[in-house]
Amino acid sequence: MTKNVLVYIEIDENKAARVSKEIISHALSNFSDADINGIVLADEQAINLALDDLKKCGVNKLYILKDNLFDTHSTCLFAGVLERFILENKPDILLIGATPDGRDLAPRLASKLNIGLTADCTDLQVDSEGKLLATRPTYGGKMMATIISKTLPDFATVRPGAFKYNPNAVHNEPELVYINPDISGLSSLMEIISSENKPRIDDWTCSEVIIAGGLGLKTKENFDLIYKLAELLKAKPAASRAAVEQGWAPQDIQVGQTGNSVSPKLYIAFGISGAMQHTAGITNSDKIIAVNTDKDAPIMHTADFAIQSDAVDIINSLIQKLSN
Amino acid sequence: MAFKIVVCIKQVPDTTDIRWTEHNTIQRDGLDSVINPYDLGAINLANYIKSLNREVEIIVVTMGPLQAQDSLHEALAMGCDEAYLLSDKKFSGADTLATAYTLSQFIKNFVPDFKLVICGQQAVDGDTAQTPSSLAEKLGIAQATNITKLINLCDDYAIWNKETQLCTQTIKLPLPSLVACSCNNIEINPDINSYIRSQKSQIKILNAESLNVLENNIGLKGSPTQVKNAYRPIITRTTEFLAESSSDAYADFILSEINKCKADND
Repeated sequence: MTKNVLVYIEIDENKAARVSKEIISHALSNFSDADINGIVLADEQAINLALDDLKKCGVNKLYILKDNLFDTHSTCLFAGVLERFILENKPDILLIGATPDGRDLAPRLASKLNIGLTADCTDLQVDSEGKLLATRPTYGGKMMATIISKTLPDFATVRPGAFKYNPNAVHNEPELVYINPDISGLSSLMEIISSENKPRIDDWTCSEVIIAGGLGLKTKENFDLIYKLAELLKAKPAASRAAVEQGWAPQDIQVGQTGNSVSPKLYIAFGISGAMQHTAGITNSDKIIAVNTDKDAPIMHTADFAIQSDAVDIINSLIQKLSN
Repeated sequence: MAFKIVVCIKQVPDTTDIRWTEHNTIQRDGLDSVINPYDLGAINLANYIKSLNREVEIIVVTMGPLQAQDSLHEALAMGCDEAYLLSDKKFSGADTLATAYTLSQFIKNFVPDFKLVICGQQAVDGDTAQTPSSLAEKLGIAQATNITKLINLCDDYAIWNKETQLCTQTIKLPLPSLVACSCNNIEINPDINSYIRSQKSQIKILNAESLNVLENNIGLKGSPTQVKNAYRPIITRTTEFLAESSSDAYADFILSEINKCKADND
């Protein structure tokens, strides 16, 4: 029987949020016999600005719930509106991006509906009976757990970067379903007094080539060579948690369980031992090259190519070749 | 009337020290237990409110086996005034929904005049960050997660700083309400006298019956989510091992791989 999948689409800078697109891409290519639809809550202006991009997401139907009160995210209000929509439309599977707002909203909604919810998933599959198998890292990434729920809809939040989004895929335009939601009896409860935008770092986690450095580089001066090499290669620099803790690199470029999940075509790890903490964040890379002097370092068994050699020597050699 | 704060904490295994059994399950015996680091932030925030020259009562609660009393004694030493342990075989196997329900029944029955519930943003064993929002819903009160700072506290509202993916917000929440604070790795060092006092204080232990709970909503029975399979992450790549060549040759190899992946894109 066709499964009715509903993806809650967040809007980010006049576009469908990348994580929402990642979820839809994954569902399209992994859920067999599924009717994949999207739902967005926003005010008129935000809808108008984002509509062109929303149409390209790949969903069959796009439910657009419009209200002036939806101009900023409000968990109490949105959970109330979504509860009513879900009770009426009864999707089989409900998916939300595990952004800070998504992880605030989803448990409140699940609690309203008295249904199970699996947080921050890195894999989703549908079994032969049509139940969602939601897999997530736990114990700080040291263990993976696959969770099923006894209730409907199956409900999960999905970690940004866990799935690949293909911007070149061409989809049919969705059917647009405009709804003026009933918000009687619902209120936001939270008032935003002021809001200061954080400096936006461009989304580097899915760039083509990522050059990462770890503790094996030994000094901050050596770590700086990562930046130099990345610049020469038009690649993005990244760091392991250990390198960040040494103060060699900012947390923004940290890769791993507690940092960013990355999905480049090529990930090159220089002097990174590759604790589970780190490898949890790089499994979506197409190809991994690891350079380490210790042939028994965990990363040497998780990469496609494991080079036993001094990382700094190779980096210097690369910089020399590229500078000529 | 005292301003009552309920702080919800969790005793967690020290996740920096996970060991595996031969069956690839987590070795629980001999694992050290600690207060979830985010919950120390919650206790710290409650202590800060107490320091604001108000009549504040901090009630700390956890759900768990009798050993969790250790964490509650610690919380008392850190400045909490009263401690409750929700402990019953019927509570075991609870997921976040059943946990939130059980906590909400405690709060409704034992601290009905609470003004604020403070939780840590997430627990370091499960990392789900779901219980706070779920609990706020069960209590029917306003919520805010990812709270980093209290700006102002009045009789019927509080002003907080909250982090989202894009911005730092200053928000106003009515009271009573629930906040989950994301201050991790806070050290609270109680003096020796507080420790001695806390060891003598009674922890009140409550079972399912005393919380007036519906048995279908607690423990394993009340938990819609179940772990189907838990496993050690397995890496599926086959590794080609390269050694004993020169760094110059490796540099050439890496450059050729980079060129390959750039060519794919053209």
